[in-house]
Amino acid sequence: MTFSLLHATDFADRLLYKIVPPLKAGMIVLADRYAYTAFARDATRGVDRQWVRELYSFAVRPDLALYFRVPIDVSVDRLLARRMKLKFYEAGMDLGWSTNPVESFRMFQGKVLDEYDQLVDEFGLEVVDAKGSITEQQRYVRTLVAQHVRMSRMETVDDEPV
Amino acid sequence: MTSPSDPAGGLNGNGLAGRYYGRGIPYLPIDGYPGKLIAIEGTDGVGRSTQIQLLREWLEVKGYGVIETGWTRSPLMQPTIELAKSSNTLNKLTFVLLYATDFADRLEKEIIPALKAGFVVLSDRYIFTALARAGVRGVDRQWLRNVYGFAIAPHLVFYLNVDVKTLIGRVLESRGMDFWESGMDLKLGDEIYDSFRAYQVKLLREYQSMADEFNFRVVDARRPIDRIQDELRRQVAAFLEPAERPSEPALIR
Repeated sequence: MTFSLLHATDFADRLLYKIVPPLKAGMIVLADRYAYTAFARDATRGVDRQWVRELYSFAVRPDLALYFRVPIDVSVDRLLARRMKLKFYEAGMDLGWSTNPVESFRMFQGKVLDEYDQLVDEFGLEVVDAKGSITEQQRYVRTLVAQHVRMSRMETVDDEPV
Repeated sequence: MTSPSDPAGGLNGNGLAGRYYGRGIPYLPIDGYPGKLIAIEGTDGVGRSTQIQLLREWLEVKGYGVIETGWTRSPLMQPTIELAKSSNTLNKLTFVLLYATDFADRLEKEIIPALKAGFVVLSDRYIFTALARAGVRGVDRQWLRNVYGFAIAPHLVFYLNVDVKTLIGRVLESRGMDFWESGMDLKLGDEIYDSFRAYQVKLLREYQSMADEFNFRVVDARRPIDRIQDELRRQVAAFLEPAERPSEPALIR
């Protein structure tokens, strides 16, 4: 519960200082993770699903939410290749499911991925296949973003006379 | 000012007592725990801690195991809350969530284990203080109740009721008015006296509005300390004694 509430506090702080002001100014805000991360992670830790949703009801609903879906094996391989060591909470070691970090990571993140799959329909997340190359993913993401943002209009902003 | 004395039912007309208010904590089932949770509520400076200290001594002499828990006293959150209060970056939402985190920590680490072990838990303030403070600051009331749905409904809630005039006298005689207790963040008045008065009037109204919803036992806190303590003891005894007999007969002489 404290894990969940501390993250919500941090989120509320960033929402009010970093997200809402630029939105009011008409800017585009890119959020690396959003409330959906909390929905998936907290539910996996045994917190009531509906309670977490109600807790985050103060959040602004994104115009576009992208979910980069990747199988657990790919995720483990990428993380281990890059930094060799998995983080304690990221591997769900606090839950005591396994003393082996890699094993614990697989079990914990496997459940987190199941939770994400449920969120896709519930919140209309756009799924991006994250197994593909960076270029492929980026091209797809650009087509999705283009549906929400009129690029022509964006470019004229800079040309406004001061 | 009423003092409902209803020694008959163990739940005192509060069907939720000892259970979660709302969705609760799924990984911590608490049904059937033998301990009792008693909350002493009331605004700043009303005399809660004095009453709790006296109540604790009396209960311990009678043979009960007693623990106290108090608002923002969690080891996890106390330093963070103090830091945030002093940094002027808190807004009403982060304020609420920091308090809720502190409460969740104490609930999991102090209150629930004590209830499991059969202690009487005396809570110096409970979620109603959080609901009142946030309510005054305009936070959505239904959202607040949902967030605090993981809280356990106390077996008894005593609300120490006082009028603002008496309160001002007491606070000035003891430690004086402080920034947060005066609601200076709300800009209700330039001067601390005006702000304290306006803020506490709003707070008292907010507490009053929760009395029925949460089964407050309203205690007239304008009286002398001993008189208030007598009333608390009478009501606590009426609640604890019949409930205690079957489980711990050794305590009854």
